[in-house]
Amino acid sequence: MIEYRDIYKAFDAPVLAGVSLTVPDGETLAIVGPSGTGKSVLLKTTIGLIVPDRGDVLIDGESVFSSRPGVLQEIRQKAGYVFQNAALFDSFNVYENVALGIQEHEAKRLGQREVARRVWHALEDVNLDPRAVLPKLPSELSGGMRKRVGLARAIVGRPQILLYDEPVTGLDPVNAAAVDRLIEEITEKTHVTSIIVTHDIEGALSLCDRIGLLEGGKLRFIGTPAEFRRSDEPLVRAFADRQAAALTAMRSERGSRRSRRTTDLESTGRPS
Amino acid sequence: MASVAHALTGGLRAVGGAGESVARHAGEIAQLAWQSVQATFRGQVAFRDFIIQAYAMGVESLPLVLVTAILSGVVTSQQGGYQFTGSIPLYVLGSVVTNGVVLELGPVMTAIVFIGRVGARITAEVGTMQVSEQIDAIYSLGRDPVRMLAAPRILAGMLAMPFLVGLANGVGAMAGMVAARSTIGLGYQSFLYGARLFWHSYDLFYSLMKAEMFGFIIPLISVHMGLLTRGGAEGVGRATTSSVVFMIIAVLVADALFPPLFLN
Ligand SMILES: Nc1ncnc2c1ncn2[C@@H]1O[C@H](COP(=O)(O)OP(=O)(O)OP(=O)(O)O)[C@@H](O)[C@H]1O
Ligand SMILES: [Mg+2]
Repeated sequence: MIEYRDIYKAFDAPVLAGVSLTVPDGETLAIVGPSGTGKSVLLKTTIGLIVPDRGDVLIDGESVFSSRPGVLQEIRQKAGYVFQNAALFDSFNVYENVALGIQEHEAKRLGQREVARRVWHALEDVNLDPRAVLPKLPSELSGGMRKRVGLARAIVGRPQILLYDEPVTGLDPVNAAAVDRLIEEITEKTHVTSIIVTHDIEGALSLCDRIGLLEGGKLRFIGTPAEFRRSDEPLVRAFADRQAAALTAMRSERGSRRSRRTTDLESTGRPS
Repeated sequence: MASVAHALTGGLRAVGGAGESVARHAGEIAQLAWQSVQATFRGQVAFRDFIIQAYAMGVESLPLVLVTAILSGVVTSQQGGYQFTGSIPLYVLGSVVTNGVVLELGPVMTAIVFIGRVGARITAEVGTMQVSEQIDAIYSLGRDPVRMLAAPRILAGMLAMPFLVGLANGVGAMAGMVAARSTIGLGYQSFLYGARLFWHSYDLFYSLMKAEMFGFIIPLISVHMGLLTRGGAEGVGRATTSSVVFMIIAVLVADALFPPLFLN
């Protein structure tokens, strides 16, 4: 279970201003909200990558920021984190990147062969062909493949908690749907507790148990997808409408660009 | 009046701010150094990383270090030759060149090259890792950037710098000797006689001590500045330039502290 208790965090300006939230074991929670409201910051506090100014995060009852030595190590062992842009290590190949997801002391215990086997399976789990990608460097992969490798690195250590920061942003619709399906599969197979920060409301609504709206430093809404759709809270409606409008705008923009290109082709045509 | 007062308090605040930021940097750098030392003595540094880094540093800097060393030797030799008129015996030039190169020019010029070739690269590399969340990723995997990045680079710097400085010393002195013969006609025998006359083996030790010091602080500052990087590609550029300035000042200040501490 993950509990956020009254989290405050300011950098140059206040970012989080009192966020409280409990995520029970096995739940998939989506967090949406406008850009720059601190979704990533909130996610990072979960494993102590950012220390809040006030408030606390408890994982299975233990504070992430407690002074007991080794607590962060244990929590980071329990959790897998999928970063916004995969954050693969540039100078490591795919094998080394994913293998790094298995904790050092565990890797010693398991031995080389078992580590290699787990890396192989993790890559298969994210629908990558291990034979093809293992020796490649991140720079030799496509954006979608990098996201998958990032996902493989997060799941290879068999975490109880998975934190996703915009797992589908920047992917084309086909790849985005594929990653959504992957997340669903992983959740079903392993019964992890997941938090997914995303801009893709439709995708989120289709795979989460609950959805939260973070805006202006506070959690403005939390409820099931059905409740979210029904909600007549002005902030929720405004956000959902903005998002929908942006989506339509993007689609029509793409459409008009495509048609313009066709006309260009027609007008330049074949020289007669 | 008001504007003068305003400018004054503004100036004071700027000085205070600078002082504060120097203190903060110093504290963080000391902590990074201490953690690296701990990691080293606990045997937590991957030997392979250390060797790869040391090799890369040596190979990267070698050509430019050699060119700089040759030029330093030649210039010292020619300037010395120009000044030595009349009563001073010419063979003293041998000592002037060797001492100039070994005590000062060899270590310092090599350090400057090292900053440009290695320090800047490390800051850009670590800074890119910071802004692309790779540093966060290291933490999230239960690893430690100090052990993975800082310690191997610092150790590698401490291995590569003495090697480079030793080479620069030899090559620089030799270049000075050749230049002395071709410009003022001082024979090799006389040059070497002069060099030996005032030579202490402590000088070489002093030179390598400087090298060790610079080999320690350059990677230390460069990793530190890399870890502080914020704000995308532009941030990496900014971090790299301020890191270079920082390293040059640190090297020159450390160099200035050496004579009062170790030469008397
Ligand atoms: N390490 C940091 N140092 C300084 N400011 C930071 C840091 N991390 C985040 N911020 C600031 O906190 C605010 C919230 O950032 P955050 O990345 O959490 O937004 P977000 O909700 O994830 O947005 P997006 O959807 O665009 O990813 C931003 O204004 C950002 O500039
Ligand atoms: Mg974000």
